[in-house]
Amino acid sequence: MAGAIIENMSTKKLVIVGVTLLLFQAFAFMVGGLIAPSPTTAVHYLATKCVDTGKHQQETKWFMPWGPNQCTKLRTFDEAMAKKIEANNIVFAVHIPLPNKEMSPWFQFMLVILQFDIAFKMYNQIEEGAMATIDVGLAYRDDTVSEWTEMAHSFEQRKLNCNFTTTKTFENEGRYYECDLLPFMEVGSVAHKYYLLNIRLPVNERKKINVGIGEIKDIRFVGIHQNGGFTKVWFAMKTFLTPSILIIMIWYWRRITLMSRPPVLLEKVILALGISMTFINIPVEWFSIGFNWTWMLLFGDIRQGIFYSMLLSFWIIFCGEHLMGTTLFATLALGRGQVKMCESSVSANKNFAQPDLHPTKNLQDQTERNRFSVYWKQVGPIVFGSFCLFIFDMCERGVQLTNPFYSIWASDVGTELAMAFIIVAGICACLYFLFLCFMVFQVFRNISGKRTSLPAMSKARRLHYEGLIFRFKFLMLVTLTCAAMTVIFFIISQVNEGHWHWGEHTVQVNSAFFTGIYGMWNLYVFAIMFLYAPSHKRYGDEQTSGQCITGDAGGNSGEDIQLTTTITHVDGPSEIYKMTGKAAQE
Amino acid sequence: MISHFPSSQCAHNQTFVPNIPTTSWEPTLCTRALSCCVVFLSVRYLAKLSSVGSIRDEETCERLRGLIQRQVQICKRSVEVMDAVRRGAQLAIDECQFQFRNRRWNCSTLETMPVFGKVVTQGTREAAFVYAISAASVAFAVTRACSSGELEKCGCDHNVHGVSPEGFQWSGCSDNIAYGVAFSQSFVDVRERSKGQSSSRALMNLHNNEAGRKAILSHMRVECKCHGVSGSCEVKTCWKAMPPFRKVGNVIKEKFDGATEVEQRKVGTTKVLVPRNSQFKPHTDEDLVYLDPSPDFCDYDPRSPGMLGTVGRQCNRTSKAIDGCELMCCGRGFQTQEVEVVDRCSCKFHWCCYVKCKQCRKMVEMHTCR
Repeated sequence: MAGAIIENMSTKKLVIVGVTLLLFQAFAFMVGGLIAPSPTTAVHYLATKCVDTGKHQQETKWFMPWGPNQCTKLRTFDEAMAKKIEANNIVFAVHIPLPNKEMSPWFQFMLVILQFDIAFKMYNQIEEGAMATIDVGLAYRDDTVSEWTEMAHSFEQRKLNCNFTTTKTFENEGRYYECDLLPFMEVGSVAHKYYLLNIRLPVNERKKINVGIGEIKDIRFVGIHQNGGFTKVWFAMKTFLTPSILIIMIWYWRRITLMSRPPVLLEKVILALGISMTFINIPVEWFSIGFNWTWMLLFGDIRQGIFYSMLLSFWIIFCGEHLMGTTLFATLALGRGQVKMCESSVSANKNFAQPDLHPTKNLQDQTERNRFSVYWKQVGPIVFGSFCLFIFDMCERGVQLTNPFYSIWASDVGTELAMAFIIVAGICACLYFLFLCFMVFQVFRNISGKRTSLPAMSKARRLHYEGLIFRFKFLMLVTLTCAAMTVIFFIISQVNEGHWHWGEHTVQVNSAFFTGIYGMWNLYVFAIMFLYAPSHKRYGDEQTSGQCITGDAGGNSGEDIQLTTTITHVDGPSEIYKMTGKAAQE
Repeated sequence: MISHFPSSQCAHNQTFVPNIPTTSWEPTLCTRALSCCVVFLSVRYLAKLSSVGSIRDEETCERLRGLIQRQVQICKRSVEVMDAVRRGAQLAIDECQFQFRNRRWNCSTLETMPVFGKVVTQGTREAAFVYAISAASVAFAVTRACSSGELEKCGCDHNVHGVSPEGFQWSGCSDNIAYGVAFSQSFVDVRERSKGQSSSRALMNLHNNEAGRKAILSHMRVECKCHGVSGSCEVKTCWKAMPPFRKVGNVIKEKFDGATEVEQRKVGTTKVLVPRNSQFKPHTDEDLVYLDPSPDFCDYDPRSPGMLGTVGRQCNRTSKAIDGCELMCCGRGFQTQEVEVVDRCSCKFHWCCYVKCKQCRKMVEMHTCR
């Protein structure tokens, strides 16, 4: 990792790069804030109460709430009471979307929330732990005249979590309970124009089905889908970002392979970060416009999960690789190590799958650190946590592929299981951050220790350490800024109403958050791959192979020259060995 | 005979009029004006629609009594909304009667015009309540109609992006409540606006109409759903849900209790309403205001319709409040009767439409005002 572009770049060029990136960043925010509409829309639906007159027993009949062929409607249930209509003959019908509108594949997904309006009655209260059993059917069609085609049908149970906030007296009869929102349905693609929900609440007193659920007055739904405009902006952004990251990634890897030595762990991790970023960027969602791929939502989750775990691992390894270098120095600088080593020619021919073939014990120790397995303790929680979330996601969105009404939160066991997964993932996250903070702390301690001894060092060593410190501090700064930005914008988007009025313009804060943050992490990965790629200055020196440094005490002419040349093309840890030689000399 | 019967005394359907028991002290309630399918709007001058089941075509608009010309125009332009407006009117009457069930003036409606009688034609507190609740109820009912898909043009025509189906696909539509409130503003307020801004009554009514709508708007419940990766709040969608109308009624009733007496004053070139007592802090947009003090509502006044008096009203012997016999009967005293009440007991309910009860008879003391 020595001799990265960032170290060899002049301040002027660095500023230019920084400003360019900032411009792109501002652009990403503006695209979301000014062009895109808000990310999602919630549409309210009030279920129409239809009467199943029982004339269509043989075939499944679909009840339309409005338009031609609409069902026989009931205004209130008092009307039903007077007409002696039974609960089993009442069908709640909801047409998605509202009249004169069409759903579109650009909506990407559709989730529906269910809410009961239950009136308080002294003699007909909601029983403790009451469950509503819902017989639900979902149908679709693509024009306004054809028959409905069934998409899903299921019996679902939802726990009524209702409380009555005022005192339970006759006075307060007719007030509504305050009930929790119930997750109802989730569809991973919106391939059809019209959807129809038919819901029944069958009563069976013997089996205790739908008994003691109070006096239902209405069923309300909220349908949430992504806005088509936002989807378009999002796709455009992805389509633009994919080649950018891909190109820089190829460029970066070419640089690495051009070097005479095999790539070190950190370089490989940066490449992996680029790959996972590209994976998330590739706009496969374009297919969802043409194909009815319901798994797209799940796939998107998986891609995001992979990127997040890659990013977290990258931070750990970056800290670790910088930490090792310095701690090693700290121990060896005390004069314990008198190492003889022969570096470049060996490592250049080395197969990087087995980098631990160094001749001496210390060298072996050094290369140990250059291996991924050293970090299992820190990366373990990330992998395990993401795995938990993956299992959870499979249990929720995976099952929803076959039954859109399924919710893991609907049953007690499911809730406990889901909570367990989430808690374990949370613990993993905490563990990870403890490790990370500890490592960062260690690095900083080393840095401050080094700072004091810097002036006393020889030029080459100083340069090397300054480079190391600079690289680390730079990434630290950028990472912290990015993380802080993410957190700040996340809070703003959570607290805010979603849009700001700014003169005549409306700024969509939520969309700006999504595009801005997404753009930011892309730029982050871009910048890392660009700035931490090996510098090509002094390429010629790279061909000088077989540099042997004798680390024992004694004069070594031209040490400075030799050191500076090695810095540019030899990876960090090994060059520290040369340093240690110097340390011993001193 | 007293009986608990679900919800309103008014029914929409004539066929089950006989089923509806009336409580003894409500001779003039909606039950008598049973058609009740009254377009309540513009409140006090409710047009009765006894003959018309629902408002379906433009001709019906012409036949509605009590609407002013501008309202007829709106009615013709948006016939589909009128059914919702009518339901809103009914909702307002029901809610008014519920909120005032224990007061001397119990929001009784008359079959004649205006439905609430003279009480509401003056600038009293009660009038303020009636105006507020009816403006709110129209907004409420129209919003509900939007959500159930009965209206074709709601939501989308108040948003810049949302005019066409393309607009809906690009950015969705604005909330239905925006349409409901806007419709209430145009339809209910037009009556006062046509009178001109100058009259203090018009100012008062407009203010109270707005206060009624604010009672909905400022009590919208914000609900959110997280649906990011693994259901995290990375992606969160929030929306505003309308409060139940009982809650709106309670809010307006509270505002009624704390209403401000105002008078008209000229500030610059515009006329505004300011509190009559300058030591009171000025009212906000959400407060109710009134111009004239209310009568005591104690006695029946044949000259002013709607003044039914409290004779024969049931009262609570133990209460010291307005429903107590002392206050309710205006000091005239009360008579006590032992009445056998047939009540329902040990009932079995389904969530809808099925109640199986035993009949329990019990003796109850009933106090009525002399």
